[in-house]
Amino acid sequence: MPPFLGGGSMIKTVALQETTYADVPARFEAGTPAIGEAIALGEAVDFLSEIGMDQIAEHEQQLIGYALDRLADVEGLQIYGPLSTDQRGGAISFTLDGIHPHDLAALLDREGVAVRAGHHCCQPLHALLDVPATTRASFYLYNVPEEIDRLVVGLDKARKLFS
Amino acid sequence: MYREVILEHYKHPHNAGTLDTPDISHEETNPLCGDRVRIDLQVADGVITDVRFKGRGCAISQASASLLTDELRGKTLDQVRALGKDDLLDLIGIPLDKNPVRIKCALLPLKTLKAGVYEYLGAQPDETE
Repeated sequence: MPPFLGGGSMIKTVALQETTYADVPARFEAGTPAIGEAIALGEAVDFLSEIGMDQIAEHEQQLIGYALDRLADVEGLQIYGPLSTDQRGGAISFTLDGIHPHDLAALLDREGVAVRAGHHCCQPLHALLDVPATTRASFYLYNVPEEIDRLVVGLDKARKLFS
Repeated sequence: MYREVILEHYKHPHNAGTLDTPDISHEETNPLCGDRVRIDLQVADGVITDVRFKGRGCAISQASASLLTDELRGKTLDQVRALGKDDLLDLIGIPLDKNPVRIKCALLPLKTLKAGVYEYLGAQPDETE
């Protein structure tokens, strides 16, 4: 198979009339390898292993559980996906009656709560659910329950502004 | 961004609906966020006599359509052709020039209007428009 890209470290010999490419995989890996990225990946793996993936999953589950509890009390809020923690990852997509998901994201941003709005790479599902988009809060290792409280405050403020 | 005037126009849009026999009817969408605006115009001797719009989307795009359509009655098509991005941003009064995502919401009604007018006139928009 011929190489698709030229660059450093992907040749054996170059002459005026003829070039011999390196063996696979080197011939497909032209240029400087991702050295910094590989080192950073190693650090990231060490960091996560030290904490423990079980611990991280447990933390996410606790946050999701708390979020599901708190969000259930928000008037006009629709949560998409299972309402139990065991079938969920660390993200919750939702809509709030009468407010476009992008407006909601902008209003939450104003409260210091960073969320994503849009199709989340699954436009057909949004078409099936018949919503223009959803707003999505994601929780991870570095999030704390107080941030979910802020999210709820932000949602209430947004609802009042648009009512 | 969500000033009183924007919220008011979003909740109670002016010129909402469609015209029965529009001379110009054009719809544009913003594929990124699904915003949709259709503008109908009645034209007599090159002057806009009536206007309606129909759409769905965020507060910015819908309020922008409401505010823009309020300006159109009595305007000539040439005046519409001369309308630019800055005119619209002045009209809605939100500093969006540093917000590349939401500025598209605000400009969608202007894009719809101009595309409809250009289509009607059989002209092509300039590169800058």
